[in-house]
Amino acid sequence: MKKVACDERPGWRSYAESVGFEFHTFDGEVYWDETAYYQFNLRQIEQDLEEPTEELHQMALGLVDDIIRDEEKLQQLAIPEKFWDFVAESWRAKAPSLYGRLDLVYDGNGPAKLLELNYDTPTSLFETGFFQWVWLEDQIMRGKVPQGADQFNSLQDQLEAAFAELPLANPLYFASVANSIEDKGTVMYLMDIAKQAGLDSRFIELEQLGEASGQLVDLDGYAIGGLFKLYPWEFMVQEDFASVILSSQTQWLEPGWKMLLSNKGILPLLWQKHQGHPNLLESHFEQPGQSFGAGWVRKPLFSREGANVELVTPSGEKISEPGPYADSAFIRQKFQPLPKFGDSYTMIGSWVVGNSAAGIGIREDNSLITKDSSRFLPHIILD
Amino acid sequence: MKQKVLKRSKKAALVLMVPTATFLMAGCGQEEAVQTAAFETVDQCAAYFNPEQCRADLNQALTMHTQVAPKYTDKAACETDFGVGQCETPAQAAAAAGTEQPAQQAQASSGGFFMPMMMGFLAGQMLNRSGGQLKQPVQAQPLYKSRDDRSTFRTATNTPVARGVGPTYIKPSSVQPKAAGTVNRGGFGAQAAKRSSSTKSFGG
Repeated sequence: MKKVACDERPGWRSYAESVGFEFHTFDGEVYWDETAYYQFNLRQIEQDLEEPTEELHQMALGLVDDIIRDEEKLQQLAIPEKFWDFVAESWRAKAPSLYGRLDLVYDGNGPAKLLELNYDTPTSLFETGFFQWVWLEDQIMRGKVPQGADQFNSLQDQLEAAFAELPLANPLYFASVANSIEDKGTVMYLMDIAKQAGLDSRFIELEQLGEASGQLVDLDGYAIGGLFKLYPWEFMVQEDFASVILSSQTQWLEPGWKMLLSNKGILPLLWQKHQGHPNLLESHFEQPGQSFGAGWVRKPLFSREGANVELVTPSGEKISEPGPYADSAFIRQKFQPLPKFGDSYTMIGSWVVGNSAAGIGIREDNSLITKDSSRFLPHIILD
Repeated sequence: MKQKVLKRSKKAALVLMVPTATFLMAGCGQEEAVQTAAFETVDQCAAYFNPEQCRADLNQALTMHTQVAPKYTDKAACETDFGVGQCETPAQAAAAAGTEQPAQQAQASSGGFFMPMMMGFLAGQMLNRSGGQLKQPVQAQPLYKSRDDRSTFRTATNTPVARGVGPTYIKPSSVQPKAAGTVNRGGFGAQAAKRSSSTKSFGG
């Protein structure tokens, strides 16, 4: 694994905008960064990333039965009691799930370590599945990347197959919050793939979702049989329409049981069951009033994009990221520094579609905490 | 020579996000009718489909019955459309189905309205050539019969879907259930509004 400087494609910004990738630059900061790429060999991809991704995914699925039968665990994960049956029922009914992303620390020499699971609302999907794919084709054509280079990225193919094969409602509605162009972009990409798979995909702003007699309805009052929501379950269960989740005959994507796996509490539970596994970092639920010392990271149960994460390096340096998620319990995870390439700390997001590993997206930041402003860089595989 | 297996997608095409492609797609919008079926009982349904799925479809139809059935404040008006003795209150429907109403719906129905009795259900699945099941292009839902046409099953929005029990062809968009009653909006998104100053995405 190495970082290779590379010429940018002329005019890539206008191309990005023409395909709906308006957030390539955000608040004047670079988000999509093609001034360099990462290069892996096939062994690194297959043995160190692909296989562990699928194994970790199975280990996570293996926890769901343990959790839904254990009130103490449901409480540790702060799942509201009102939703225990809903979550358990969605699991027993094998409610289909589309995708997830595991965040890994990896520097080219195994084993990769699991930082967390983004199993409810993972983003950077368009950047991974489409834009870096096109980047590779373009750069091979222009001779900037060696002929024969490949990419670990079957994300769009696998998503299209999932939309075609899973027992999904049709029409299928897609919702994201009104004021996020990034979330709208992610949802538009999924709608596009669903359409190619033959589904009638329809957008509705999350705030415009309606309720009539307990049934979730669209703008015209039609019942919503299936809804993909790019909005966290832990928010939905405490908002005004929480009871509609229970009364509406709606198929949810991601399904209710993903509430368990997108929770940072899954990390200590994984550690309890598979202590010492080479791809896991030691993790514990934080006890009230407990202080945490050098070599540990503190994360809220519910947090997105690095928000409210604090860490103390082994040498005692404190780093923290502010955020809006301080209102929950915390876990502690053993500190594993992200590898440094040049001036940047690098993290790997590894995708799962169904139960298969489906590719990676790379994020870089100037700090040890990866966040929503972290740059996205493409990668290649070259033996 | 061994064919190299690529680790990337064979294609990455867009149809909706590219304006010209959307234009090209516009001509292919003809919706095809799909084959599904109407039933009165789980036993009838089990002759075509997995009985467990039949029970799930019936239960879904029973739950939706109160939500989507046409509502009348006056029993006589309901009977004009659906026939004498063919209308009920939500409480009677729940008692007949042997289900407890969710508290929220019980509250909504305390105003005392009338609706037609459910006469059957549309299976939320379709038949394919091998007799197996494909994805669900239509939503399982309750069916009704009007006073002047007792042989035809109709959806809650008065779309005729089948003459009698058994397989039928329909366009999925014509049978999308529509909720009856007051629509409330804005029940999701409050947390986003509260936290929006510090984040640009609610994914992660």
